[in-house]
Amino acid sequence: QGLKSLVPTEFPGPDPIFGTTKPGLPATDTFLGTNKVPDLQRVFQRSDGLPVHLKRGYPDRMLYRTTMALTIGGTFYCLVALYIASQPK
Amino acid sequence: MAHQAHSYHMVDPSPWPIFGAAAALLTASGLTMWFHHKTPYLLIIGLISTALVMFQWWRDIIRESTFQGHHTPTVQKGLRYGMVLFITSEAFFFLGFFWAFFHSSLAPTPELGGQWPPVGITPLDPMEVPLLNTAILLASGVTVTWAHHSITEARRKQAIYALLLTVLLGCYFTALQGMEYYEAPFSIADGVYGSTFFVATGFHGLHVIIGSTFLFVCLLRLIKYHFTSNHHFGFEAAAWYWHFVDVVWLFLYISIYWWGS
Repeated sequence: QGLKSLVPTEFPGPDPIFGTTKPGLPATDTFLGTNKVPDLQRVFQRSDGLPVHLKRGYPDRMLYRTTMALTIGGTFYCLVALYIASQPK
Repeated sequence: MAHQAHSYHMVDPSPWPIFGAAAALLTASGLTMWFHHKTPYLLIIGLISTALVMFQWWRDIIRESTFQGHHTPTVQKGLRYGMVLFITSEAFFFLGFFWAFFHSSLAPTPELGGQWPPVGITPLDPMEVPLLNTAILLASGVTVTWAHHSITEARRKQAIYALLLTVLLGCYFTALQGMEYYEAPFSIADGVYGSTFFVATGFHGLHVIIGSTFLFVCLLRLIKYHFTSNHHFGFEAAAWYWHFVDVVWLFLYISIYWWGS
């Protein structure tokens, strides 16, 4: 929809006093992983016409098909089960 | 390429609403089949499909907001209204069960021995595990506020510790309550005392589990740098829900555990 990509205004990093005790610390936070949001923003803003629930390709398609199989298949099973259950004994 | 001339979010076509409705149908009819015909298969399919729809729907909302930037301040305002209305509806849900409790306990019938707690019921001591549970939830309200302040001050590590502590306190509450349920000298089948106690505290416990899960998802998103110090509504919604769960417990503790003993 033409919205420009988010400029990540992420946390400016550790407390301002860092660097006095550990001079070798990198400027970006590495505690529990690095920031991958900008990469993901690039992926999800690709102009490929894919809807958001299929944007990542193969894993999204597999999950979607599994959900569809369970819900649509389940609905048919449900209708059959309810028909049988509604029969007199 | 056309650009929208408004600040609202026109979502991509999505299958999750209709699949979610189907999943609800399967869960409801699955319960019926399980109760009346002892077959759990439809219920299992219903619960799994509900979980799948929830996962993918909320995953897509994260994609639309954090990765695609669709959550403008206008959109966020709508989400705030939505969460407030949802929590209000949940408050009314609990109000019903409190009504039922006071209906039976304020005027105990002769069948109960004309007293509350009814004859034959040994209620749980409110000064034992229930008091500890009260302290746990109150502490978790403090830690979630600490986490929020840490997020707005851009202190990621501190926010992670505070939110982790909140989730752990929630799990501790659930574990203690589960133990209390197992050890209780009365069951849900023990007249209206058992019914009101276990239905009210049981639905509360379910909401603690839901709230803890919501906070846990926020913890994962916090670790993955999804939140900024200005924009973290998912976390705020989880914190509101958690405070609501805490307040409901306080009412439960005062009326059912304490006054009701």
